[in-house]
Amino acid sequence: MRLFEFEAKAFFSSNGIPVPRGEVVETPNEARDVAKSLQKPVMLKAQVLAGMRGKAGGVKLARNPVEAEEFSKQLLGTEICGCKVRKLLVEEYLDVDRELYLSVTIDSSKGKPVVIASPEGGIEIEEIALKSPEKLIQTYVDVFTGLEPVVAREIVKKMGFTGDLLLKISQTLWALYKVFEKYDAVIAEINPLVITKNQEVSAAGAVLNLDDDALYRHPEVAVNPEERIEDPVELKAWKLGIPYVRLDGDIGTIGSGAGLAIATVDLVKHFGGRAANFLDTGGRITQEHIENALEIVTMNPNVRAILINMYGGINPIVEGARGIVKFIRERKLQIPVVVKVRGNFEDEAWKILEEAGVDVIKATQTELAAQRIVQLTQAGETH
Amino acid sequence: MIVQGITGRVGSVQTRLMLNYGTKIVAGVTPGKGGQTVEGIPVYNTVREALREHPADSSISFVPATSAKDAAFEAINAGLKLLVIITEHIPVHDTMKIKAMAERYGVTVLGPNTPGIISPGKTKLGIMPGNLYTPGEVGIVARSATLSYEIAGNLTEAGIGQTTCLGIGGDMVTGVTFVDILKMFEADQDTKAIVIVGEIGRTVEEEAAEFIKKHVSKPVVAYIGGRHAPLGKRMGHAGAIIERGRGTAETKITALHEAGVKVIECPMEIVSAIRNMLKREST
Repeated sequence: MRLFEFEAKAFFSSNGIPVPRGEVVETPNEARDVAKSLQKPVMLKAQVLAGMRGKAGGVKLARNPVEAEEFSKQLLGTEICGCKVRKLLVEEYLDVDRELYLSVTIDSSKGKPVVIASPEGGIEIEEIALKSPEKLIQTYVDVFTGLEPVVAREIVKKMGFTGDLLLKISQTLWALYKVFEKYDAVIAEINPLVITKNQEVSAAGAVLNLDDDALYRHPEVAVNPEERIEDPVELKAWKLGIPYVRLDGDIGTIGSGAGLAIATVDLVKHFGGRAANFLDTGGRITQEHIENALEIVTMNPNVRAILINMYGGINPIVEGARGIVKFIRERKLQIPVVVKVRGNFEDEAWKILEEAGVDVIKATQTELAAQRIVQLTQAGETH
Repeated sequence: MIVQGITGRVGSVQTRLMLNYGTKIVAGVTPGKGGQTVEGIPVYNTVREALREHPADSSISFVPATSAKDAAFEAINAGLKLLVIITEHIPVHDTMKIKAMAERYGVTVLGPNTPGIISPGKTKLGIMPGNLYTPGEVGIVARSATLSYEIAGNLTEAGIGQTTCLGIGGDMVTGVTFVDILKMFEADQDTKAIVIVGEIGRTVEEEAAEFIKKHVSKPVVAYIGGRHAPLGKRMGHAGAIIERGRGTAETKITALHEAGVKVIECPMEIVSAIRNMLKREST
């Protein structure tokens, strides 16, 4: 789960990372008041969960409270990178001397935390990697010992710092690692870390992505999915704990595992159709879970046919079959539904579906199911 | 073999299915349920207690995500050498610790979020439907459980059997990766052809391609799921997300292709691809 910048900064700040003075606001009046109290020019930053916000016009400099009010009016309520701007972060303008890059993330191939630092910040890390890869300093960290202060200092020394700044920056890096560890982060990033003309450090840009699977042990993190997820169907799916991604087609899909669900979307496309969504039941199928999955898929008004692809490995496909039949009956579902199902207890699952008149594919090949659903969708178009 | 979390809904059903397949399960472990039996298998409170009565070298874990790390540590500390972690949704920081601990003690970890491993006709430490597999000459290694069933099922229907099929797990961080398994398949005399079932996200396919170029003499076929996946969206598996342009299907397909791997577009094509390769190998 990605946090908003103001949330990330609150966690950074409470864990010893210096951040610019500022407040989050929801109205132009509040923006003006914050600008007035800061007694400095301010940056207005749209709080949206998207990168490249600056390039899309989501960040503005206001030289005085009047401008702060005026520019806030322009920003609030607009859409930036497809996300509605509901909040602005109003922050003191910093006199920048230099900008650096610091992050802690997970190297998925080594399975270890990795610290990435660069004496050049303020642009996306991909650009830094392209422009000056020799300046990227990567350091793997033992997950049990964490980032030791001496290692943090060595990294900052490699970035070319000495004296007071060496201490301030390495203290910040150490604290960043602590945040990564403490909140089960997947990415904790400061970009840029600003060094001001007074030689103070400040985390002007902050990214904090947390592991969804670890949220249960972080009651201090306010999840508020309504503020994070724009699409109502994706929101409902999130609340039910069902991985779902809306796509732009008209064939609803359900797969009983992530890889199978991904392949189902691919194969629908391969045979000339377009999937309306990706949905993965995971290994959690019960009668109710399948009904929920179908509820989510059919919430999308574009859906004109549904393809369900299940394997009975860990999943009880018999319960899955019962759930499908119940949903179709109770909702009097009129659109074509094709179910491909194989695995443990397949005979019983087939029987339940066939007796209810559901179109069943008993073969292993998802291709056959994809072809069938595409045919049925196209046949529907000619009526 | 020991089953951790044997008394749960999933653990008990899967224990029955593994026993039916011929797997030698000697004991189960569930804290607080010691003294019970599941499918005739005695249950103990700890792995150590179980080992005292029944020597074993591996475990399969169905322990819920919230205590999966502790269960893995327990198994490693008790001296087991192979852990198959079926559990989904383990926090990735926990998995990093399991992986680090396993490396320290020379323990092999399959998963988390893996279907396990099957030697068709012999034994399975996993949740895969046994009826989709048959003994033969092809080795399959996959990230996705369900997609590996599909590939194996296609081969079995066409009369092409498998030596060993396993999943490395769908999470962002896993114990062994493709390269570890490719080494084993390359060394295994019975395996004549190798199938990699990959998907978007991570870079394990790219690393596999590098390894194949240098160290694999056997023919390799790959299928990569997610050609039509959108950027920046997590597709079910924690590992299946194209972030910042890394880990797209395209980069993986290109890397594998350049390493001489036959990359197929649909799972069904696995049959003709493998048939051609085995024909070539035998002539």
